[in-house]
Amino acid sequence: MYFEDVEVGATQRFGCYEVTREEIVAYAREFDPQPFHLDEEAGRRSQFGGLIASGWHTGAMLIRMLCEHAIPGSASTGAIGFDDLRWLKPVRPGDVLSVETTVRDKIESRSRRDIGTVKIESRVMNQAGDAVMTLTSLVLYRRRPDA
Amino acid sequence: MKYFEDVRVGDTAALGSRTVTEEEILRFGRAYDPQPFHTDPDAAAGSLFGGLIASGWHTCAITMRLSVEAMQRDGLAGMGSPGIDSCRWLKPVRPGDTLTLTREIVETWPSRTKPFGFVRSRSQMTNQAGEAVLTIVGVTMIARRPESSR
Repeated sequence: MYFEDVEVGATQRFGCYEVTREEIVAYAREFDPQPFHLDEEAGRRSQFGGLIASGWHTGAMLIRMLCEHAIPGSASTGAIGFDDLRWLKPVRPGDVLSVETTVRDKIESRSRRDIGTVKIESRVMNQAGDAVMTLTSLVLYRRRPDA
Repeated sequence: MKYFEDVRVGDTAALGSRTVTEEEILRFGRAYDPQPFHTDPDAAAGSLFGGLIASGWHTCAITMRLSVEAMQRDGLAGMGSPGIDSCRWLKPVRPGDTLTLTREIVETWPSRTKPFGFVRSRSQMTNQAGEAVLTIVGVTMIARRPESSR
């Protein structure tokens, strides 16, 4: 799917990511060693009321689901960043996450004829259907070679 | 302990450095961002990046690690974050790059209902050549100084 094939408003739902205590703690030890990401008891004493995943870990789980379900078959060549990331609800051990993506905008490059930018909103949801994180990625797509 | 009241708009600080290894790039890529230019040095050499590069989410994770270390070193009473306004991956991060995090405080405002304040900051990661590889503008919550010690 090239830049020309992307339709503003198109949505996709996919993913089934089971969040484990071991993975939450392993990520936190390496990248985000705050007590409420490392230890159940410390989490209980915090404003979160229990162990929760690092917000950056939720972002990593999102890109994993995008790699498995959305990027194959697309002419995306990587993202230049994202805007408006919100961590809306804690992610806890045992949560099962999925993603809903919506194409929000397409922007042609002024300087390059072979590439365009697509703004894609991702909503990460838990098993109760609550959004736990949202963000809007700026993804580069190749243009149709014959266009 | 440092609190919300100790954070001043305009304050700028270097928060730390970290060298990124090929092993780390591959491990993160295989776990979370399995695209060939993050997981396979040979395939990466033939990609438009010309070699293995770190996942942007890995660079964000390293930024967080340096932030947490600085927060704990300075005794800053961080209470999490509601989100990020913008993040830009400006240049590829490659094995052996040494990244340095600097941060400027942009805006502060107290919560009207909770015992913390919000701090908006602009963070930048630069490589050993002085090139910016990542910028993040985001918000964190910092605990207010307890009444007894104000």
